[in-house]
Amino acid sequence: MAVFQAALINEIEKLYKKKKIMVAIIISLSVIIIGQLIIVGMRTGFGLRGVGSVEFPILVLSVVVNTILPLFTALVAIDCFSSEFSNNMMRVTLTRPVSRFKIFSAKVTTIVFFILFNLFVLFVFSLLAGFLFNANSATAIGLFKIVISYGVSLIPMIVLALGIILLTNIFKNGTSVFFVSILGFLILKAGAVIFSQYSSLFITSQLDWYNLWLASSFPLNTIVNQLLIMLGYAIMFFTAGYYLFDKKEY
Amino acid sequence: MKLKKKTVMLISFSLGALLFATTALADMVNKSGYEQLKDGLKVTAEKCSEELDSFTLDLSMEVKNNGETLITSNEVSKFDRSNNAQESFSSQESVYGNDYNSYNYSDDKMRIRWSEDQDTYYVTEFTNERDQSYYNNPFKEEGAEDIERIVDAVVGSLKDHVMVEENSDGGKELSGSLSEMQIPALINAFASFQLKQQFNGRQSNMPHLTQDIFVKEISGKSIINADGIMESMLGTALLSGKDKQGQVHELSFEILVKMSDINNTTVTMPDLTNENVVKEVERPGYGPEITNPEKFQGLFKNDILIEKDGQYVKIGERYINITHIDDSTISGRYYEEYRDDYEQYTEGALDFRFDASFERDGRQASFEYTTETGKTTSGNLYLDEYIGKLNFNINQDSRSMVYDYMFSKVFD
Amino acid sequence: MNKVIEIKELNKIYQNGRGIMDINLEIYEGDIFGFLGPNGAGKTTAMKIMTGLIAPDSGDVRIFGHSITEEYEQAMAGVGCIIEVAESFPFLSAYENLKQFSRYYPDVDDKRIDEVLELTGMIKFKHEKPKKFSLGMKQRLGLAAAIVSRPKILILDEPLNGLDVEGMIDIRKLILHLAEKERTTFFISSHLIHDVELTCDRIGVIYNGKMLNIDRTDNILQNYATLENYFVSEVERNGRVPSSTNQ
Repeated sequence: MAVFQAALINEIEKLYKKKKIMVAIIISLSVIIIGQLIIVGMRTGFGLRGVGSVEFPILVLSVVVNTILPLFTALVAIDCFSSEFSNNMMRVTLTRPVSRFKIFSAKVTTIVFFILFNLFVLFVFSLLAGFLFNANSATAIGLFKIVISYGVSLIPMIVLALGIILLTNIFKNGTSVFFVSILGFLILKAGAVIFSQYSSLFITSQLDWYNLWLASSFPLNTIVNQLLIMLGYAIMFFTAGYYLFDKKEY
Repeated sequence: MKLKKKTVMLISFSLGALLFATTALADMVNKSGYEQLKDGLKVTAEKCSEELDSFTLDLSMEVKNNGETLITSNEVSKFDRSNNAQESFSSQESVYGNDYNSYNYSDDKMRIRWSEDQDTYYVTEFTNERDQSYYNNPFKEEGAEDIERIVDAVVGSLKDHVMVEENSDGGKELSGSLSEMQIPALINAFASFQLKQQFNGRQSNMPHLTQDIFVKEISGKSIINADGIMESMLGTALLSGKDKQGQVHELSFEILVKMSDINNTTVTMPDLTNENVVKEVERPGYGPEITNPEKFQGLFKNDILIEKDGQYVKIGERYINITHIDDSTISGRYYEEYRDDYEQYTEGALDFRFDASFERDGRQASFEYTTETGKTTSGNLYLDEYIGKLNFNINQDSRSMVYDYMFSKVFD
Repeated sequence: MNKVIEIKELNKIYQNGRGIMDINLEIYEGDIFGFLGPNGAGKTTAMKIMTGLIAPDSGDVRIFGHSITEEYEQAMAGVGCIIEVAESFPFLSAYENLKQFSRYYPDVDDKRIDEVLELTGMIKFKHEKPKKFSLGMKQRLGLAAAIVSRPKILILDEPLNGLDVEGMIDIRKLILHLAEKERTTFFISSHLIHDVELTCDRIGVIYNGKMLNIDRTDNILQNYATLENYFVSEVERNGRVPSSTNQ
C-alpha cells in the first residue's frame, strides 16, 4: 500500500506540475461565466427566467458532461500515458521497486482525482454564480440534488477515462489517441440517436445519467441497470488496458 | 504465479463482459417505460384504425390561473368503424364568455351539424356516397419512422423518466413527471417563450406575463389495458411567470384523453322531427368528383366591355348555352349579342357550337371550334362548382374588347 | 561469496530474428561486472530483461533470490539502474525528479537527495529543470537517480554515453568509490573496451546474442596484452571475425 501511495503521489505531482489543472480551472470558469451571461441576456431580452439559482448548476452540468469534462478527461488520460510512452519516460518510473499494476492503478486513480477535482470546481463556481445572479429558488433538497448530480457524474466519466486509457495503450501516439477518442465519442453520440433503443448501452449516453437521479419517482431499476453496464465496461476497459500496459516493452 | 496473473486478468475481463452482456440483455428484454409508452400509442392507433368496431373518445382540457379556472373544454366523440359513422359533442366554457356547445354527426351519406347559438340542424346529404375513412393510422403514414427517430433524439435522456407500474388485471400504468430542475434548460426556455407569446396581453382577462417566465412542472400519466390499448392519458403542465405589476401567476394546463366503450359504442343519427332543419348541398370545390353535373345545364352569360374615354362601356353580352351535360361530356353553343349602338362589332362576332369530353376530374374539358370564317381554333372550359360559375376560354385573335372568361348562370 | 544476480537460460528473440539466446550468468556481491559486446549484440536486451522493462521468452533473472518476473518489487528494491539514455521528467526540477524516486524507498530523505546531487556534481542545478540540461548533465542526474536509494546493485547501460572526458573520469571515480565504500555490486555494459578494462574486475563477452566467455579481468590480462586482444580472440574462437573492431 505504501508503494501504491508513493506511486499515486508521484502521479499527482506530475499532473499538478504540468499546469493542466490551472487550464482546467480557467476554462471551467469561463464556461460558467458565458453560460451566466447568456441566461442574463435571455432574461432581460425575452423576459424568460431561464434558470433559478438551483437550476443553474444543473444547466452547467448538462453542458459540461458532454463537452469540456470528457475533453479534459481525455487530455489528462492521454497525458498520463501516451506522453510517457514516448521519450522512454516510462522507464524512469518502471525501473523502481513498484509493480506495473500499481503504476497503472496509480495513474488511473490520478485521473479519477482529476475528474473529481474538475467536477468540484464546476460545482462550486456554478453554485456561486447561481446564487449571485439568479432568482433564489434554493431549497435544501435542491442543493442535495445538485450534489448528487455532480457526484454521480463521476462514474460515467471514469468509464470514459478507462476507455481512453485503453486506447492510449493500443495506439502509440497521443495525438492519434486524441482524434480516435473524439471520433469515437461522436460516433457513439450519433449511434445513440440512430439506434435509440440501444442507446443505454453506449457510454456516451451514460454521461447524462445524473438525470435519472433527479427523477421524481426514483427509477431504481434503471439506475442499477446503468450502474451494472458501466461497471461491466469499467472492468473490461481496466483489465484490457492493464493487460496491454503490462505486456508493453520499453 | 505468472500463470495466476494471466488467469486473474482473464477471469476479471470475463466477469466484466458477462456483467455487461447480462445487463444489456435484460435491458433489451425489459422495454423501458418510454418504449412501452410508444408501443401503447402505436397499438392504440393500429387497433382504432383496423380492429375495433367502435369506441368513444373523451377529450377534455382545462386552463387555470392561480387555481381559478379560465377555460374548460370537452369533446366526446363516438366512432363506429363498422358503419363508418361518427358523432361528437363539444363544449367550451371560459371566463371570457365565448362559451359554446355543438354537435356533429357524419356517416357515408350525410353530415349533420348543430350549434347552440343558432339551434338549427344543418344537414348535408352527399350526392355520391363518400368513401372517406377517419381511421388512418398516423404511425403508418409516410415519414412516420423518421419523425419517431427525431422525437426519440429530442426526448433523449428524459426517456428514463417514464415509470411503469403493472396492474393486477394485466394492464399497466405509465407515469412521469419533470420538475423545473429536470426539464432541460433549452426546452424550458423554448416552451416559456412560446407561452409568453400566448399570454401577451392581447386577450383580455388573460394574465399578461412579462417576466420570470418558466415551466415549473410537466407530468403525465397513462393507463394501458391488458389488450395494449391506451385507455386514458393525462398531461399537466405548470407555468409560472410575473405580470407587469410583479404579481406571480401560476398557470396550469391539463389535458385528459379517455377511451371507453370499446366495441360497445353506438352512433345514432339524431331524430330531426320537430327540429329546425336547414338542408345544405355539399359544395366541395376540390372533391374528387363533381356532384350532379346537370346543375350546369342552361344559359350562362357575361358582359362584353370596351374601354372608351377612360370608362368601361358595355357593348353587348356573351352567351353560352349548355345544351347537354353529363359525367363525361358537355356540349353547347357560344354566341355574342351586341347593342344596337355598337353594331360595327357584329362583324367579328363569334357564334359556334362545341362538344367536349371532361378530363378525369369531371370539371375541365378542352374543345375545338370552327368560326364562321372557317378557321379552327381551340378552347377550354372549367366548371367552378364552388362558386357556381362557368369558366370559358377561347384562343381568339386579340380584339379590342376586354375578354371575361367567367360566365354566370342566367335565371329567369 | 554471495550470489546477487543469477541469470538462467534467458531467451528473447525479437521479430527481426535478433535477440539473446540461452544466457547464463552469475554475479557475486562486490563484483564490478563488465558486459562487453558490439552494438546490437544483445547487451541492452539482457539488461532490459534484468530490470523488468521487457519480458523474456523463457528463462528467469533472480536478484537477491527474487524472480524479476514474479516478485518485481522485492527484486528491484536494492537495484538502481540506467538503461540506454538517462531520462528525467523535463517539467520537474532536478530535486523534484529525485524526490519522485525517493518516495519508493522508506529511508531516503531530502538529505540523501542533496548528498547524491553533491556526489554527481549536480547540486548547483538542484532547482533547475532538465529541459535546459545538456546530455552530460542529464546523464549525471540519471546516475544520481540510480544511486539515490543506496542500491546494493547498480545496473548501468552505457553510463558514459554523452559525457566529456572530465565527466567520464568523474563517473569512473564514482563507481570505484561506491564499490569500495558501500560494497556496491555493478553490472555495467559498454562497447568501450578501454573503459571496461579500467573499471571492471569481471568481464563477460556477448556476441550475436550469445554469451562467449566470462573471466576475471586480471586473469585475462595475464594471458592477453590488452582486453581488446582478448575480445578479438574470443570472437574468432567462436568462428566469427568482426568485420570491424567496434573500438
